[in-house]
Amino acid sequence: MEGPEPSEFAKERHAAFAEMMLHELPRDYASQEINRVTLAYFAVSSLSLLRSLHRVDKDQIATWVLSFQAKPKETHNVDDGKFFGFCGSRSCQFSEDSVQSVSNLASTYSALAILKVIGYDFQNFDSSIILESMRSLQMPDGSFMPIDSGAETDLRFVYCAAAISSMLNDWSGMDREKAKDYIINCQSYDGGFGLTAGSESHGGATYCAVAALFLMGFIQTDCNNSLSLPTSTIDIPSLVEWCIQRQGADGGFQGRANKDSDTCYAFWVGGVLKMLGLYHLVNKSALRTFLFTCQSPYGGFTKFPYEVLPDLYHSYYGFAALSLLDEKELGNLSVELGLAALN
Amino acid sequence: MPSSSSEQAYVPLRQRAEWADVRPVPQDEGPHPVVPIAYTEEFRDVMDYFRAVYVARELSPRALRLTTEALLRNPGNYTIWHFRRLVIDALDSDLVEETLFVDNLAKANSKNYQIWHHKRWLAEKLGPEAANDDHDFTRFILCHDAKNYHAWSHRQWVLQKLGGWDKELDFCHQLLEEDIFNNSAWNQRFFVITRSPLLGGLSAMWDSEVDYTIKAILQNPNNESPWRYLQGLYKGNPDSLITDERIPQLLLNILKENSYCVFAWNFLLDVLCKGLRPNNEIIEAVKGFTELDDAGSSDEDLPTRICSALERMDPIRVNYWAWRKSNLTL
Repeated sequence: MEGPEPSEFAKERHAAFAEMMLHELPRDYASQEINRVTLAYFAVSSLSLLRSLHRVDKDQIATWVLSFQAKPKETHNVDDGKFFGFCGSRSCQFSEDSVQSVSNLASTYSALAILKVIGYDFQNFDSSIILESMRSLQMPDGSFMPIDSGAETDLRFVYCAAAISSMLNDWSGMDREKAKDYIINCQSYDGGFGLTAGSESHGGATYCAVAALFLMGFIQTDCNNSLSLPTSTIDIPSLVEWCIQRQGADGGFQGRANKDSDTCYAFWVGGVLKMLGLYHLVNKSALRTFLFTCQSPYGGFTKFPYEVLPDLYHSYYGFAALSLLDEKELGNLSVELGLAALN
Repeated sequence: MPSSSSEQAYVPLRQRAEWADVRPVPQDEGPHPVVPIAYTEEFRDVMDYFRAVYVARELSPRALRLTTEALLRNPGNYTIWHFRRLVIDALDSDLVEETLFVDNLAKANSKNYQIWHHKRWLAEKLGPEAANDDHDFTRFILCHDAKNYHAWSHRQWVLQKLGGWDKELDFCHQLLEEDIFNNSAWNQRFFVITRSPLLGGLSAMWDSEVDYTIKAILQNPNNESPWRYLQGLYKGNPDSLITDERIPQLLLNILKENSYCVFAWNFLLDVLCKGLRPNNEIIEAVKGFTELDDAGSSDEDLPTRICSALERMDPIRVNYWAWRKSNLTL
């Protein structure tokens, strides 16, 4: 590849950035405040990937995360359709009456992911209410709502449900067959997956589809790296070609055909290839070069090349993408769970 | 997002007579908060009062106005939206006015899931008569951002739930005339031809769509979208892919003018792998092109030669073409 030499990975600056975000998020994150627990997950998992978790007080983090758990009254009837997981922010948590608290699947995934990353001991953690009430969120078509009071249903929440079940090592909270059927219906004519049936193929949706199938046990790669699949699942050759075609001349990955390359898709789409045992097909040197054009002088990563201000989301997925590229300053990743692997 | 320094200075709710009877509920951060956000005073004030009405379940006109203020500052908060819907139902509020409110918010925050979900809730209540107005709105959003994923998702939902299919294919065509590279418009076209109750499904549309797509490819062969679309059209009918004479004709036309068109070589590789019996022109085209690259490989079969050529022509995907080549014998 022509062009400048890739820069060094600025580990110290990245760790300082992640730590700073953990301690306070700037005002412009207020629009995302409903997803605070997810923002915390980006910060904590970043620090873990950066091998810098020693900078934080894990007990305090655990206490904080657990304080978002929504718990029913003892007399509560689990069949009434209410979900009891983790809330995403204080603004949907009402301590006077926790029945009014609105927990959601995405923040439940994020909360459990944080607890896993910091090594929380799940021995005494009672997950039964999470799993029992999660069943109410699954729709007849196999998709999931994120909250019990009505919202869009799409692949993101199928993924969250699968990841939650995997982390809790208990599949009683969802019907895997129905979820698989929904996922299959989301594969588009070009091999990628859209967020719903009929939607345009999208890198994030494709990750959710493949990771969920992987977690649920519907995709296995054996030691020869060949794929085994039950019949009537997904069109793998088209999927592989769709993923490979997302890498542009600039080395980065785009989320959809004919769109610009963006840092995060190096993880979403690269991650799919990794799960399929085909990451070696990626042009790694070109990708690395692209990612370093998104490395911010302030620490963290930006969405597009040569922008200056980083954001927490693109920073996290930038670290995750570099971990897939075996960047030596970074720890390993559990690709299908989207979090730092326990070292 | 509206800035906090608006034309009228913000009057904290604590200072408004209307709210004198309400005790605001502050956010309980707890000790050692993680990722705390540096909220503005306004944000904090409005949320403290929202918490109060939410817990009290006050479904009143002033509560509705409060949710308006809260949503202007925090449109991502689904708890506020949910509560607003409860108030609207309780007060039997005017849904057309509500549509104006949410549409204005959508224009400023066109990638916000909760706003689009609220639009969906309203559309369901308003019913099929509102379908065309709804399509006019998404058309407006797509004029400014022709690939907005939320807008497309919403549009597909309204079509399937409430109708308004009759002009959709024309809309796709119009967008493709403006930008033949718009993959969202191609996707929507596939959606329409396969699902519109007015068109008869893929089998009825297939032939004319192949012609349409070939025309688009010839207009710009280095555009991935129509190639994928073409592949998609044949998915339900794989035998015709290797018997339809338009396919080798298209490929030859392109490769004559654009011998380095990666998508054309890729497509030829795929149809050969699926069983196309190449005519002499195709064989000559492959041999003529790859001879320059691969001296000594003139005995190799066409797919192998094409993979080797692609390794050189498409260096970003060199590993992929090598892998395809190694799988050819399987």
